[in-house]
Amino acid sequence: MITIDKLCYNSGLRYENAGEKFAFAMITLVLCVMSRSMVIAGIVLAVMGILTVWKGRIPLFRYLHFLCIPLVFLLLSTLAIIVNVKKEPLDLFALQLGNWYITGSMQGFLYALQLILTALAAVSCLYFLSMNTPMPDILMVLEKLHCPKLLIELMLLIYRFIFILLDTAYYLSTSQECRLGNRNYRTSLKSFAALCTALMIRAVKRSNALYASMEARCYDGTIRVLTEDHPPRKKIIVLITVFELFLFVLFIQRRFFL
Amino acid sequence: MNRKQKHMLALISILALTFGIVPNVNAMHIMEGYLPGGYCIAWGVLCIPFLAAGFLSIRKTLNEHRNLITLLAMSGAFVFVISSLKIPSVTGSCSHMTGTGLGAILFGPSAVSILGLIVLVFQAILLAHGGLTTIGANTFSMAIAGPFLTYAIYKLCQKCKLNKRISVFLAATLGDLFTYCITAVQMAIAHHTDTTITGAMGKFLMVFAPTQIPLAIIEGILTVLIVIGLETYAKPELRAIGFLKEGK
Repeated sequence: MITIDKLCYNSGLRYENAGEKFAFAMITLVLCVMSRSMVIAGIVLAVMGILTVWKGRIPLFRYLHFLCIPLVFLLLSTLAIIVNVKKEPLDLFALQLGNWYITGSMQGFLYALQLILTALAAVSCLYFLSMNTPMPDILMVLEKLHCPKLLIELMLLIYRFIFILLDTAYYLSTSQECRLGNRNYRTSLKSFAALCTALMIRAVKRSNALYASMEARCYDGTIRVLTEDHPPRKKIIVLITVFELFLFVLFIQRRFFL
Repeated sequence: MNRKQKHMLALISILALTFGIVPNVNAMHIMEGYLPGGYCIAWGVLCIPFLAAGFLSIRKTLNEHRNLITLLAMSGAFVFVISSLKIPSVTGSCSHMTGTGLGAILFGPSAVSILGLIVLVFQAILLAHGGLTTIGANTFSMAIAGPFLTYAIYKLCQKCKLNKRISVFLAATLGDLFTYCITAVQMAIAHHTDTTITGAMGKFLMVFAPTQIPLAIIEGILTVLIVIGLETYAKPELRAIGFLKEGK
């Protein structure tokens, strides 16, 4: 159903301490976004990619496929950054259209290139977290970071309900397909709306039943789940610290001494 | 064909290819790492008052009616699921609804702000739409600005006694378009190397228009159909949800 969710339960890094993975991904992400330098982005992209594919044992082509998801957004917005319509041509390229030029500058091109690299590196950090850490573990880390209890509880419930509803939606759409529900554009619009309506009705019914059953099992406002404890390993903490320090020094050097 | 024509041809075919085999058109999530650090923080800070208001109102409702928590969670999951389903689109590319417009009409804007935040976190982590550093900007455009405008238009149309279908359509479509404009503004403020901010904004608007404007209209039509379907078949369920809205 949700590929990333499936992948992360089979990841080779699943049983590492969740706090370690979270801190590693987040600090790297922040350093990468703050520095916006191509060197740091390149290093981060390589390290995260290798760790996810080699240590996390995520299939390479799956990983590459996921890296392509934001590609459309990237292409379109980069196009908007590079290409200008102006009265006078800029230095990189220029196409004349009457009195106007479709044109771009070297500076803009470099800027866009750096942006693409930074964005891809940032995405690789996000994937490192999401492809190696199951959602309940992330929620546990958030709880340790003192995220409001109500928010955590809602997230936990929503995470569980997503799969119930996706399953329902899958069955509904299969039966619609069987009955020629997507015969042409008009019917497919109608079917989609019918699907959402049915989904909403089921969701509300289900939520009432669920509350009743939770109440019957002494629900008092908190859902207590057992957590598997995987204590952090010293070696890994040292490695992470060294890597982050290295990135930080590089960031300072690029920012202030170049 | 001379060289220039060849170049033009190449450019046009690249454009056609990108629009033709678009693998995935999202409802304009700004991707991970696309905004510089300062802007990420600024948009996040801008969201805090709305989120705090939403949080307090949800907490108040839940303190009074403890049993609504599962309904609230189901609503959040519903928004996530409809935003992850492929909607029928004209071009054959697969596109997704925002879902927050429908959410705002059904559950009210302040509940949607918190639900929207949670949904965006899940979309970033489980579907790789959007990102964690850009969560502030995305929350502002998709979970706050869009739903609030949708709700305002919906209420305004109700006051003017407009036809229900028209008011839902207007609310959902304009809310969606507003989300897309805000996103363009957010990107233009962050990235304008060769032009002014307004120039950059125009460019971002133009580049995303071919995917976003049809999407907004389709989303409007679908929202109308869903609301009508719910009113026909789910009166009691709607009353339960209305309870969620009145709690504030």
